[in-house]
Amino acid sequence: MNTKTALYSLYILMWPALSLGVLLYILRSVVRDAREAKKQNKGIV
Amino acid sequence: MELDFYQFSTATVLLMLAAFYGGTYLLTLMIRKKNENADAYMVANQRIGIGLASSSMTATWIWAASFYAAATSGYTYGVSGPLHYGLWGALMILFIYPFGQRFRKLAPKAHTLGELIHARHGSSSQLILAVSNVLGSTISLMVNFTAAGALVAVLSPLSFQAGVIIAGVGVLAYTFWSGFRAAVFTDFIQLVALMAIAVVIIPAILFAMGGPSAFVTGLSSLTLEQQSFFSKTAFLEQGAPFFFAVLAYAVGNQTISQRLFAVDEKHIKSTFITATLGYGAIVIGLGMIGLLALTAGIEPMNGDTNNLIPQVVSTYLSPIMVALFFLLVISSLSSTADSDLCALSAIMMADVYGKNIAKDKPDPTRMLFIGRITMVAATAIGIVFASFSLDILVMLVFVGALWGAIVFPVIASVFWDKVTNAAFTWSVTVAMLLFCLVRFELLPMVGLIAYVFEAFSAVGAAVVIGLMAFAFLGVRLGAVFGVLAGIAALYFNLGFMRDYTVLLASLTAFGVSTLVCTVMSLMSKAPRFDFGTINEEVQSYDPSA
Repeated sequence: MNTKTALYSLYILMWPALSLGVLLYILRSVVRDAREAKKQNKGIV
Repeated sequence: MELDFYQFSTATVLLMLAAFYGGTYLLTLMIRKKNENADAYMVANQRIGIGLASSSMTATWIWAASFYAAATSGYTYGVSGPLHYGLWGALMILFIYPFGQRFRKLAPKAHTLGELIHARHGSSSQLILAVSNVLGSTISLMVNFTAAGALVAVLSPLSFQAGVIIAGVGVLAYTFWSGFRAAVFTDFIQLVALMAIAVVIIPAILFAMGGPSAFVTGLSSLTLEQQSFFSKTAFLEQGAPFFFAVLAYAVGNQTISQRLFAVDEKHIKSTFITATLGYGAIVIGLGMIGLLALTAGIEPMNGDTNNLIPQVVSTYLSPIMVALFFLLVISSLSSTADSDLCALSAIMMADVYGKNIAKDKPDPTRMLFIGRITMVAATAIGIVFASFSLDILVMLVFVGALWGAIVFPVIASVFWDKVTNAAFTWSVTVAMLLFCLVRFELLPMVGLIAYVFEAFSAVGAAVVIGLMAFAFLGVRLGAVFGVLAGIAALYFNLGFMRDYTVLLASLTAFGVSTLVCTVMSLMSKAPRFDFGTINEEVQSYDPSA
Protein backbone atom coordinates (compact mmCIF):
# COMPACT_ATOMS: atom_id res chain seq x y z
CA MET A 1 0.00 0.00 0.00
CA ASN A 2 1.57 3.30 -1.04
CA THR A 3 1.42 6.52 0.95
CA LYS A 4 -1.47 8.00 -1.02
CA THR A 5 -3.60 4.90 -0.50
CA ALA A 6 -2.72 4.81 3.20
CA LEU A 7 -3.66 8.47 3.68
CA TYR A 8 -6.99 8.07 1.91
CA SER A 9 -7.70 4.93 3.97
CA LEU A 10 -6.99 6.95 7.09
CA TYR A 11 -9.28 9.74 5.86
CA ILE A 12 -12.18 7.33 5.46
CA LEU A 13 -11.59 5.09 8.48
CA MET A 14 -10.77 7.78 11.04
CA TRP A 15 -14.48 8.65 11.35
CA PRO A 16 -15.71 5.22 12.46
CA ALA A 17 -12.69 5.04 14.77
CA LEU A 18 -13.61 8.40 16.31
CA SER A 19 -17.24 7.23 16.59
CA LEU A 20 -16.05 4.20 18.51
CA GLY A 21 -14.02 6.37 20.88
CA VAL A 22 -16.98 8.68 21.56
CA LEU A 23 -19.28 5.68 22.01
CA LEU A 24 -16.98 4.15 24.65
CA TYR A 25 -16.72 7.52 26.45
CA ILE A 26 -20.51 7.92 26.50
CA LEU A 27 -21.01 4.37 27.79
CA ARG A 28 -18.48 4.92 30.57
CA SER A 29 -20.10 8.24 31.53
CA VAL A 30 -23.57 6.74 31.69
CA VAL A 31 -22.36 3.87 33.90
CA ARG A 32 -20.79 6.45 36.26
CA ASP A 33 -23.95 8.58 36.26
CA ALA A 34 -26.09 5.52 36.99
CA ARG A 35 -23.86 4.51 39.93
CA GLU A 36 -23.94 8.05 41.30
CA ALA A 37 -27.72 8.24 40.98
CA LYS A 38 -28.09 4.88 42.72
CA LYS A 39 -25.86 6.05 45.59
CA GLN A 40 -28.09 9.09 46.05
CA ASN A 41 -31.21 6.98 45.64
CA LYS A 42 -32.34 9.13 42.68
CA GLY A 43 -33.28 8.34 39.10
CA ILE A 44 -30.72 8.85 36.33
CA VAL A 45 -33.18 11.19 34.57
CA MET B 1 -23.89 1.56 -13.04
CA GLU B 2 -27.28 1.58 -11.32
CA LEU B 3 -27.79 -0.66 -8.30
CA ASP B 4 -31.06 -2.05 -6.94
CA PHE B 5 -32.41 -2.24 -3.38
CA TYR B 6 -32.45 -5.33 -1.17
CA GLN B 7 -36.02 -6.39 -0.35
CA PHE B 8 -37.14 -7.63 3.07
CA SER B 9 -40.41 -9.50 3.39
CA THR B 10 -43.34 -7.67 4.97
CA ALA B 11 -43.14 -9.91 8.03
CA THR B 12 -39.42 -9.19 8.53
CA VAL B 13 -39.87 -5.42 8.36
CA LEU B 14 -42.87 -5.52 10.70
CA LEU B 15 -40.88 -7.68 13.10
CA MET B 16 -37.92 -5.28 13.07
CA LEU B 17 -40.16 -2.26 13.63
CA ALA B 18 -42.07 -4.05 16.39
CA ALA B 19 -38.79 -5.04 18.06
CA PHE B 20 -37.43 -1.49 17.81
CA TYR B 21 -40.49 0.45 18.97
CA GLY B 22 -41.68 -2.28 21.36
CA GLY B 23 -38.21 -2.53 22.92
CA THR B 24 -37.95 1.25 23.23
CA TYR B 25 -41.38 1.43 24.85
CA LEU B 26 -40.44 -1.29 27.35
CA LEU B 27 -37.26 0.62 28.22
CA THR B 28 -39.27 3.72 29.13
CA LEU B 29 -41.20 1.63 31.67
CA MET B 30 -37.93 1.52 33.69
CA ILE B 31 -38.08 5.27 34.34
CA ARG B 32 -41.85 5.74 34.30
CA LYS B 33 -43.56 7.43 37.26
CA LYS B 34 -47.27 7.19 37.93
CA ASN B 35 -47.42 10.90 38.63
CA GLU B 36 -45.04 12.77 36.35
CA ASN B 37 -44.60 16.48 37.13
CA ALA B 38 -44.61 19.32 34.65
CA ASP B 39 -40.94 20.29 35.17
CA ALA B 40 -39.67 16.75 34.68
CA TYR B 41 -41.87 16.39 31.60
CA MET B 42 -40.06 19.37 30.04
CA VAL B 43 -36.47 19.27 31.33
CA ALA B 44 -36.14 16.10 33.48
CA ASN B 45 -34.30 16.79 36.75
CA GLN B 46 -32.07 19.60 35.31
CA ARG B 47 -28.99 17.67 36.44
CA ILE B 48 -28.60 15.09 33.67
CA GLY B 49 -25.04 13.76 33.47
CA ILE B 50 -22.56 13.96 30.57
CA GLY B 51 -23.33 10.52 29.16
CA LEU B 52 -27.08 10.86 28.77
CA ALA B 53 -26.96 14.56 27.87
CA SER B 54 -24.29 14.22 25.18
CA SER B 55 -25.92 11.15 23.67
CA SER B 56 -29.24 12.97 23.62
CA MET B 57 -27.69 16.08 22.01
CA THR B 58 -25.96 13.96 19.37
CA ALA B 59 -29.01 11.81 18.65
CA THR B 60 -31.23 14.88 18.35
CA TRP B 61 -28.83 16.71 16.04
CA ILE B 62 -28.57 13.68 13.75
CA TRP B 63 -31.72 13.02 11.78
CA ALA B 64 -32.28 10.78 8.81
CA ALA B 65 -31.57 13.64 6.41
CA SER B 66 -28.13 14.19 8.01
CA PHE B 67 -26.39 11.22 6.50
CA TYR B 68 -28.39 11.18 3.27
CA ALA B 69 -27.36 14.82 2.75
CA ALA B 70 -23.75 14.14 3.81
CA ALA B 71 -23.59 11.27 1.31
CA THR B 72 -25.11 13.52 -1.37
CA SER B 73 -22.45 16.10 -0.59
CA GLY B 74 -19.72 13.45 -0.91
CA TYR B 75 -21.22 12.21 -4.18
CA THR B 76 -21.57 15.73 -5.62
CA TYR B 77 -18.44 17.49 -4.41
CA GLY B 78 -15.98 14.61 -3.95
CA VAL B 79 -13.43 14.24 -1.15
CA SER B 80 -14.27 17.51 0.63
CA GLY B 81 -18.05 17.01 0.35
CA PRO B 82 -18.70 15.05 3.58
CA LEU B 83 -16.58 17.56 5.52
CA HIS B 84 -18.58 20.49 4.15
CA TYR B 85 -21.72 18.90 5.54
CA GLY B 86 -20.62 17.27 8.78
CA LEU B 87 -17.85 19.52 10.04
CA TRP B 88 -19.87 22.74 10.07
CA GLY B 89 -22.87 21.01 11.63
CA ALA B 90 -20.61 19.64 14.35
CA LEU B 91 -18.89 22.95 15.02
CA MET B 92 -22.21 24.64 15.56
CA ILE B 93 -22.89 22.35 18.52
CA LEU B 94 -19.58 23.51 19.93
CA PHE B 95 -20.24 27.20 19.34
CA ILE B 96 -23.60 27.18 21.08
CA TYR B 97 -22.40 26.07 24.50
CA PRO B 98 -20.91 29.40 25.73
CA PHE B 99 -24.26 31.04 24.96
CA GLY B 100 -26.01 28.12 26.62
CA GLN B 101 -24.00 28.71 29.78
CA ARG B 102 -25.22 32.31 29.76
CA PHE B 103 -28.87 31.23 29.24
CA ARG B 104 -28.54 28.83 32.15
CA LYS B 105 -26.91 31.42 34.41
CA LEU B 106 -29.68 33.96 33.77
CA ALA B 107 -32.57 31.49 34.07
CA PRO B 108 -31.49 28.30 35.86
CA LYS B 109 -35.07 27.09 36.20
CA ALA B 110 -36.17 27.76 32.62
CA HIS B 111 -37.74 25.12 30.41
CA THR B 112 -37.66 27.02 27.12
CA LEU B 113 -35.60 29.86 25.68
CA GLY B 114 -38.94 31.60 25.13
CA GLU B 115 -39.47 31.88 28.90
CA LEU B 116 -36.14 33.67 29.23
CA ILE B 117 -36.97 36.01 26.35
CA HIS B 118 -40.44 36.62 27.85
CA ALA B 119 -38.82 37.70 31.11
CA ARG B 120 -36.38 39.89 29.17
CA HIS B 121 -38.76 41.47 26.66
CA GLY B 122 -42.38 40.32 26.96
CA SER B 123 -44.82 38.40 24.82
CA SER B 124 -44.14 39.53 21.25
CA SER B 125 -40.46 38.52 21.25
CA GLN B 126 -41.27 35.29 23.07
CA LEU B 127 -43.99 34.42 20.57
CA ILE B 128 -41.60 34.96 17.63
CA LEU B 129 -39.43 32.23 19.13
CA ALA B 130 -42.43 30.03 19.89
CA VAL B 131 -43.89 30.32 16.37
CA SER B 132 -40.54 29.60 14.73
CA ASN B 133 -40.18 26.48 16.86
CA VAL B 134 -43.70 25.23 16.28
CA LEU B 135 -43.12 25.50 12.53
CA GLY B 136 -39.59 24.09 12.73
CA SER B 137 -40.44 21.09 14.88
CA THR B 138 -43.56 20.29 12.85
CA ILE B 139 -41.48 20.29 9.67
CA SER B 140 -38.84 18.16 11.34
CA LEU B 141 -41.48 15.65 12.46
CA MET B 142 -42.86 15.47 8.96
CA VAL B 143 -39.42 15.02 7.39
CA ASN B 144 -38.53 12.23 9.81
CA PHE B 145 -41.82 10.40 9.30
CA THR B 146 -41.35 10.82 5.54
CA ALA B 147 -37.88 9.26 5.81
CA ALA B 148 -39.38 6.29 7.67
CA GLY B 149 -42.05 5.85 4.99
CA ALA B 150 -39.50 6.09 2.18
CA LEU B 151 -37.17 3.58 3.82
CA VAL B 152 -39.95 1.06 4.45
CA ALA B 153 -41.22 1.50 0.88
CA VAL B 154 -37.85 0.91 -0.81
CA LEU B 155 -36.72 -2.01 1.36
CA SER B 156 -40.00 -3.93 1.65
CA PRO B 157 -43.38 -4.46 -0.04
CA LEU B 158 -45.03 -2.31 2.65
CA SER B 159 -46.42 1.05 1.52
CA PHE B 160 -44.94 4.48 2.22
CA GLN B 161 -47.99 5.39 4.32
CA ALA B 162 -47.58 2.27 6.47
CA GLY B 163 -44.00 3.28 7.30
CA VAL B 164 -45.10 6.83 8.15
CA ILE B 165 -47.88 5.66 10.48
CA ILE B 166 -45.76 3.01 12.24
CA ALA B 167 -42.97 5.53 12.92
CA GLY B 168 -45.42 8.20 14.13
CA VAL B 169 -47.33 5.91 16.46
CA GLY B 170 -44.14 4.20 17.65
CA VAL B 171 -42.43 7.46 18.63
CA LEU B 172 -45.57 8.83 20.29
CA ALA B 173 -46.10 5.62 22.28
CA TYR B 174 -42.78 5.75 24.09
CA THR B 175 -42.63 9.57 24.53
CA PHE B 176 -46.24 10.29 25.52
CA TRP B 177 -46.21 9.47 29.24
CA SER B 178 -42.80 10.63 30.52
CA GLY B 179 -42.03 13.30 27.89
CA PHE B 180 -38.48 14.65 27.92
CA ARG B 181 -37.30 12.03 30.45
CA ALA B 182 -38.31 9.27 28.06
CA ALA B 183 -36.74 11.08 25.09
CA VAL B 184 -33.37 11.51 26.81
CA PHE B 185 -33.30 7.95 28.11
CA THR B 186 -34.20 6.38 24.78
CA ASP B 187 -31.87 8.76 22.87
CA PHE B 188 -29.01 7.10 24.72
CA ILE B 189 -30.05 3.61 23.64
CA GLN B 190 -30.77 4.77 20.09
CA LEU B 191 -27.43 6.56 19.81
CA VAL B 192 -25.51 3.54 21.06
CA ALA B 193 -27.20 1.45 18.37
CA LEU B 194 -26.62 4.12 15.73
CA MET B 195 -22.92 4.54 16.55
CA ALA B 196 -22.21 0.83 16.87
CA ILE B 197 -23.81 0.18 13.49
CA ALA B 198 -21.99 3.13 11.84
CA VAL B 199 -18.66 1.85 13.22
CA VAL B 200 -19.24 -1.49 11.49
CA ILE B 201 -20.93 -0.37 8.27
CA ILE B 202 -18.43 2.22 7.02
CA PRO B 203 -15.32 -0.03 6.92
CA ALA B 204 -17.49 -2.93 5.70
CA ILE B 205 -18.59 -0.91 2.66
CA LEU B 206 -15.06 0.36 1.95
CA PHE B 207 -13.66 -3.17 1.82
CA ALA B 208 -16.69 -4.68 0.06
CA MET B 209 -16.20 -2.13 -2.74
CA GLY B 210 -12.64 -3.27 -3.37
CA GLY B 211 -10.77 -1.62 -0.49
CA PRO B 212 -8.58 1.50 -0.41
CA SER B 213 -6.74 0.62 -3.65
CA ALA B 214 -9.97 0.50 -5.66
CA PHE B 215 -11.02 3.81 -4.07
CA VAL B 216 -7.75 5.52 -5.02
CA THR B 217 -8.01 4.13 -8.57
CA GLY B 218 -11.57 5.47 -8.79
CA LEU B 219 -10.43 8.94 -7.70
CA SER B 220 -8.70 9.45 -11.05
CA SER B 221 -12.08 9.49 -12.79
CA LEU B 222 -13.23 12.52 -10.75
CA THR B 223 -12.90 16.16 -11.74
CA LEU B 224 -10.01 18.14 -10.27
CA GLU B 225 -12.45 20.00 -7.99
CA GLN B 226 -13.86 16.71 -6.73
CA GLN B 227 -10.35 15.44 -5.99
CA SER B 228 -9.44 18.55 -4.01
CA PHE B 229 -9.80 18.93 -0.24
CA PHE B 230 -10.10 22.68 -0.83
CA SER B 231 -12.86 22.77 -3.44
CA LYS B 232 -14.19 26.32 -3.84
CA THR B 233 -17.44 25.03 -5.33
CA ALA B 234 -18.02 22.71 -2.37
CA PHE B 235 -17.43 25.56 0.06
CA LEU B 236 -19.66 28.10 -1.69
CA GLU B 237 -22.51 25.74 -2.61
CA GLN B 238 -22.53 23.40 0.38
CA GLY B 239 -20.25 24.47 3.23
CA ALA B 240 -20.95 28.17 3.57
CA PRO B 241 -24.79 28.11 3.32
CA PHE B 242 -24.90 25.17 5.73
CA PHE B 243 -22.48 26.88 8.13
CA PHE B 244 -24.75 29.92 8.47
CA ALA B 245 -27.95 27.87 8.49
CA VAL B 246 -26.89 25.61 11.35
CA LEU B 247 -25.78 28.52 13.50
CA ALA B 248 -29.32 29.83 13.21
CA TYR B 249 -30.69 26.38 13.92
CA ALA B 250 -28.50 25.96 17.01
CA VAL B 251 -29.51 29.24 18.61
CA GLY B 252 -33.20 29.28 17.81
CA ASN B 253 -34.17 25.64 18.21
CA GLN B 254 -36.00 24.50 21.33
CA THR B 255 -34.71 20.91 20.98
CA ILE B 256 -31.22 22.30 21.66
CA SER B 257 -32.13 24.82 24.36
CA GLN B 258 -34.24 22.18 26.13
CA ARG B 259 -31.08 20.10 26.57
CA LEU B 260 -29.13 23.17 27.68
CA PHE B 261 -31.67 23.65 30.46
CA ALA B 262 -31.73 19.95 31.34
CA VAL B 263 -28.04 19.07 31.65
CA ASP B 264 -26.20 19.49 34.94
CA GLU B 265 -24.90 23.06 34.71
CA LYS B 266 -21.30 22.07 35.42
CA HIS B 267 -21.34 19.57 32.54
CA ILE B 268 -22.58 21.89 29.75
CA LYS B 269 -19.13 22.32 28.19
CA SER B 270 -18.08 18.65 28.26
CA THR B 271 -21.53 17.57 27.04
CA PHE B 272 -21.36 19.81 23.99
CA ILE B 273 -17.75 18.90 23.17
CA THR B 274 -18.66 15.20 23.26
CA ALA B 275 -21.73 15.81 21.10
CA THR B 276 -19.59 17.79 18.62
CA LEU B 277 -17.19 14.89 18.20
CA GLY B 278 -19.97 12.30 18.06
CA TYR B 279 -22.00 14.18 15.46
CA GLY B 280 -18.98 14.95 13.27
CA ALA B 281 -17.68 11.39 13.34
CA ILE B 282 -20.98 9.73 12.48
CA VAL B 283 -22.20 12.16 9.83
CA ILE B 284 -18.88 12.65 8.04
CA GLY B 285 -18.26 8.89 8.24
CA LEU B 286 -21.61 8.02 6.68
CA GLY B 287 -21.06 10.81 4.13
CA MET B 288 -18.01 8.86 2.95
CA ILE B 289 -20.43 6.29 1.49
CA GLY B 290 -21.45 8.94 -1.07
CA LEU B 291 -17.80 9.53 -1.93
CA LEU B 292 -17.21 5.77 -2.31
CA ALA B 293 -20.27 5.56 -4.58
CA LEU B 294 -18.86 8.37 -6.71
CA THR B 295 -15.47 6.73 -7.15
CA ALA B 296 -17.17 3.41 -7.98
CA GLY B 297 -19.24 5.10 -10.71
CA ILE B 298 -22.61 4.26 -9.11
CA GLU B 299 -25.66 6.12 -10.43
CA PRO B 300 -28.37 7.01 -7.88
CA MET B 301 -31.67 5.30 -8.65
CA ASN B 302 -34.14 7.63 -10.43
CA GLY B 303 -31.49 10.36 -10.13
CA ASP B 304 -32.34 10.76 -6.43
CA THR B 305 -29.13 10.95 -4.38
CA ASN B 306 -31.11 10.05 -1.22
CA ASN B 307 -31.15 6.52 -2.66
CA LEU B 308 -27.34 6.26 -2.69
CA ILE B 309 -26.74 4.87 0.81
CA PRO B 310 -29.59 2.30 0.66
CA GLN B 311 -28.42 1.23 -2.82
CA VAL B 312 -24.79 0.78 -1.75
CA VAL B 313 -25.73 -1.02 1.47
CA SER B 314 -28.18 -3.28 -0.41
CA THR B 315 -25.65 -4.25 -3.05
CA TYR B 316 -22.40 -4.66 -1.17
CA LEU B 317 -23.45 -5.89 2.26
CA SER B 318 -25.17 -8.99 3.61
CA PRO B 319 -28.89 -8.99 4.53
CA ILE B 320 -27.96 -8.79 8.23
CA MET B 321 -26.00 -5.59 7.58
CA VAL B 322 -28.91 -4.21 5.56
CA ALA B 323 -31.14 -4.92 8.58
CA LEU B 324 -28.64 -3.10 10.82
CA PHE B 325 -28.66 -0.16 8.41
CA PHE B 326 -32.47 -0.16 8.56
CA LEU B 327 -32.29 0.09 12.36
CA LEU B 328 -29.66 2.85 12.09
CA VAL B 329 -32.01 5.02 10.03
CA ILE B 330 -35.02 4.25 12.25
CA SER B 331 -32.94 5.10 15.36
CA SER B 332 -31.77 8.42 13.95
CA LEU B 333 -35.19 9.58 12.79
CA SER B 334 -36.96 8.41 15.96
CA SER B 335 -34.51 10.16 18.29
CA THR B 336 -35.05 13.45 16.46
CA ALA B 337 -38.81 12.99 16.23
CA ASP B 338 -39.17 12.34 19.96
CA SER B 339 -37.15 15.52 20.65
CA ASP B 340 -39.48 17.47 18.38
CA LEU B 341 -42.51 16.15 20.26
CA CYS B 342 -40.91 17.20 23.55
CA ALA B 343 -39.98 20.63 22.17
CA LEU B 344 -43.51 21.24 20.91
CA SER B 345 -45.09 20.10 24.17
CA ALA B 346 -42.73 22.33 26.23
CA ILE B 347 -43.55 25.35 24.07
CA MET B 348 -47.29 24.79 24.43
CA MET B 349 -46.94 24.11 28.17
CA ALA B 350 -44.57 26.91 29.17
CA ASP B 351 -44.68 29.58 26.45
CA VAL B 352 -48.31 29.43 25.37
CA TYR B 353 -50.19 28.17 28.45
CA GLY B 354 -47.79 29.13 31.28
CA LYS B 355 -46.87 32.63 30.16
CA ASN B 356 -49.72 33.77 27.94
CA ILE B 357 -52.89 31.98 29.09
CA ALA B 358 -52.40 31.22 32.79
CA LYS B 359 -50.26 34.37 33.19
CA ASP B 360 -47.69 32.78 35.50
CA LYS B 361 -50.32 31.04 37.66
CA PRO B 362 -50.54 27.74 35.81
CA ASP B 363 -52.10 24.56 37.11
CA PRO B 364 -49.30 21.92 36.80
CA THR B 365 -51.80 19.09 36.19
CA ARG B 366 -53.48 20.98 33.36
CA MET B 367 -50.06 21.90 32.05
CA LEU B 368 -49.08 18.24 31.84
CA PHE B 369 -52.35 17.44 30.09
CA ILE B 370 -51.64 20.20 27.54
CA GLY B 371 -48.18 18.73 26.95
CA ARG B 372 -49.55 15.28 26.22
CA ILE B 373 -52.39 16.54 24.02
CA THR B 374 -49.80 18.58 22.08
CA MET B 375 -47.79 15.43 21.43
CA VAL B 376 -50.84 13.60 20.08
CA ALA B 377 -51.86 16.53 17.88
CA ALA B 378 -48.30 17.10 16.60
CA THR B 379 -47.92 13.42 15.72
CA ALA B 380 -51.23 13.45 13.86
CA ILE B 381 -50.22 16.57 11.92
CA GLY B 382 -46.77 15.11 11.16
CA ILE B 383 -48.32 11.89 9.86
CA VAL B 384 -50.89 13.70 7.72
CA PHE B 385 -48.32 16.10 6.22
CA ALA B 386 -45.88 13.25 5.56
CA SER B 387 -48.56 10.96 4.08
CA PHE B 388 -49.61 13.58 1.55
CA SER B 389 -45.95 14.34 0.70
CA LEU B 390 -46.66 18.08 0.93
CA ASP B 391 -44.12 20.44 -0.58
CA ILE B 392 -42.54 22.09 2.44
CA LEU B 393 -39.67 23.87 0.75
CA VAL B 394 -41.15 27.36 1.22
CA MET B 395 -41.97 26.66 4.87
CA LEU B 396 -38.50 25.25 5.43
CA VAL B 397 -36.84 28.28 3.87
CA PHE B 398 -39.07 30.59 5.93
CA VAL B 399 -38.22 28.90 9.25
CA GLY B 400 -34.50 28.88 8.44
CA ALA B 401 -34.67 32.60 7.74
CA LEU B 402 -36.63 33.28 10.92
CA TRP B 403 -34.02 31.49 12.99
CA GLY B 404 -31.25 33.39 11.14
CA ALA B 405 -32.99 36.68 11.86
CA ILE B 406 -33.29 36.01 15.60
CA VAL B 407 -29.66 34.95 16.21
CA PHE B 408 -28.28 38.40 16.97
CA PRO B 409 -31.37 39.77 18.79
CA VAL B 410 -31.47 36.69 21.08
CA ILE B 411 -27.76 36.75 21.89
CA ALA B 412 -27.66 40.54 22.28
CA SER B 413 -30.69 40.37 24.58
CA VAL B 414 -28.91 38.14 27.07
CA PHE B 415 -25.66 40.14 27.17
CA TRP B 416 -26.59 43.77 26.43
CA ASP B 417 -28.95 45.65 28.76
CA LYS B 418 -29.88 48.26 26.11
CA VAL B 419 -31.79 45.89 23.79
CA THR B 420 -35.54 46.59 23.86
CA ASN B 421 -38.59 44.54 22.94
CA ALA B 422 -39.27 46.89 19.99
CA ALA B 423 -35.68 46.47 18.76
CA PHE B 424 -36.02 42.68 18.97
CA THR B 425 -39.39 42.52 17.21
CA TRP B 426 -38.67 45.07 14.48
CA SER B 427 -35.22 43.72 13.72
CA VAL B 428 -36.65 40.25 13.10
CA THR B 429 -39.57 41.63 11.05
CA VAL B 430 -37.42 43.82 8.79
CA ALA B 431 -34.81 41.08 8.35
CA MET B 432 -37.52 38.62 7.32
CA LEU B 433 -38.94 41.05 4.76
CA LEU B 434 -35.56 41.70 3.15
CA PHE B 435 -34.70 38.00 3.27
CA CYS B 436 -37.86 37.18 1.31
CA LEU B 437 -37.06 39.84 -1.30
CA VAL B 438 -33.68 38.18 -1.95
CA ARG B 439 -34.50 34.49 -1.47
CA PHE B 440 -37.60 34.50 -3.67
CA GLU B 441 -35.91 36.82 -6.21
CA LEU B 442 -38.59 39.50 -5.90
CA LEU B 443 -36.00 42.17 -6.71
CA PRO B 444 -33.61 42.12 -9.69
CA MET B 445 -30.12 41.54 -8.22
CA VAL B 446 -28.35 44.06 -10.43
CA GLY B 447 -26.75 47.47 -10.06
CA LEU B 448 -27.16 49.43 -6.83
CA ILE B 449 -29.72 47.01 -5.35
CA ALA B 450 -27.26 44.13 -5.63
CA TYR B 451 -24.47 46.17 -4.05
CA VAL B 452 -26.70 47.14 -1.12
CA PHE B 453 -27.65 43.53 -0.40
CA GLU B 454 -24.06 42.39 -0.82
CA ALA B 455 -23.09 44.99 1.79
CA PHE B 456 -25.82 43.63 4.12
CA SER B 457 -24.48 40.14 3.56
CA ALA B 458 -20.98 41.32 4.50
CA VAL B 459 -22.44 42.61 7.78
CA GLY B 460 -24.09 39.21 8.21
CA ALA B 461 -20.75 37.40 7.76
CA ALA B 462 -19.14 39.81 10.23
CA VAL B 463 -21.89 39.09 12.77
CA VAL B 464 -21.50 35.31 12.51
CA ILE B 465 -17.70 35.36 12.83
CA GLY B 466 -17.88 38.07 15.50
CA LEU B 467 -20.40 36.12 17.60
CA MET B 468 -18.33 32.96 17.38
CA ALA B 469 -15.18 34.79 18.48
CA PHE B 470 -17.17 36.58 21.19
CA ALA B 471 -18.42 33.25 22.55
CA PHE B 472 -14.92 32.03 23.32
CA LEU B 473 -12.72 35.14 23.43
CA GLY B 474 -14.90 37.90 24.86
CA VAL B 475 -16.37 41.12 23.55
CA ARG B 476 -13.20 42.94 22.43
CA LEU B 477 -11.72 40.12 20.38
CA GLY B 478 -15.21 39.31 19.14
CA ALA B 479 -15.46 42.85 17.78
CA VAL B 480 -11.99 42.65 16.23
CA PHE B 481 -12.78 39.35 14.48
CA GLY B 482 -16.17 40.71 13.41
CA VAL B 483 -14.68 43.86 11.86
CA LEU B 484 -11.92 41.92 10.09
CA ALA B 485 -14.45 39.40 8.77
CA GLY B 486 -16.72 42.25 7.65
CA ILE B 487 -13.90 43.97 5.71
CA ALA B 488 -12.88 40.70 4.08
CA ALA B 489 -16.49 39.83 3.26
CA LEU B 490 -17.11 43.28 1.77
CA TYR B 491 -14.05 42.84 -0.46
CA PHE B 492 -15.17 39.40 -1.68
CA ASN B 493 -18.95 39.93 -1.72
CA LEU B 494 -19.27 43.07 -3.84
CA GLY B 495 -20.06 42.08 -7.41
CA PHE B 496 -19.86 38.38 -6.53
CA MET B 497 -22.38 37.26 -3.90
CA ARG B 498 -25.39 38.20 -6.10
CA ASP B 499 -24.91 34.89 -7.96
CA TYR B 500 -25.35 32.84 -4.75
CA THR B 501 -28.96 33.62 -3.84
CA VAL B 502 -29.32 31.19 -0.91
CA LEU B 503 -26.17 32.40 0.81
CA LEU B 504 -26.91 36.06 0.05
CA ALA B 505 -30.41 35.77 1.54
CA SER B 506 -29.21 33.97 4.71
CA LEU B 507 -26.47 36.52 5.35
CA THR B 508 -28.89 39.38 4.67
CA ALA B 509 -31.16 38.07 7.44
CA PHE B 510 -28.23 37.98 9.89
CA GLY B 511 -26.91 41.41 8.84
CA VAL B 512 -30.16 43.35 8.70
CA SER B 513 -31.48 42.06 12.02
CA THR B 514 -28.17 43.07 13.62
CA LEU B 515 -28.22 46.56 12.13
CA VAL B 516 -31.85 47.28 13.04
CA CYS B 517 -31.54 45.79 16.54
CA THR B 518 -28.34 47.72 17.27
CA VAL B 519 -29.55 51.08 15.93
CA MET B 520 -32.94 50.89 17.67
CA SER B 521 -31.34 49.82 20.96
CA LEU B 522 -28.80 52.63 20.85
CA MET B 523 -31.53 55.19 20.08
CA SER B 524 -33.81 53.93 22.84
CA LYS B 525 -34.26 56.07 25.93
CA ALA B 526 -35.70 53.17 27.95
CA PRO B 527 -33.95 52.40 31.26
CA ARG B 528 -31.27 49.72 31.15
CA PHE B 529 -32.50 46.20 31.90
CA ASP B 530 -31.64 44.48 35.18
CA PHE B 531 -30.70 40.87 34.27
CA GLY B 532 -31.23 39.79 37.88
CA THR B 533 -35.00 40.01 37.38
CA ILE B 534 -35.02 37.11 34.90
CA ASN B 535 -34.31 34.51 37.58
CA GLU B 536 -37.15 35.91 39.70
CA GLU B 537 -39.63 35.65 36.86
CA VAL B 538 -38.67 32.26 35.36
CA GLN B 539 -39.68 29.75 38.02
CA SER B 540 -40.29 26.06 38.50
CA TYR B 541 -43.80 24.67 37.96
CA ASP B 542 -43.28 21.76 40.33
CA PRO B 543 -45.00 22.57 43.67
CA SER B 544 -42.43 20.48 45.56
CA ALA B 545 -39.42 22.29 44.04
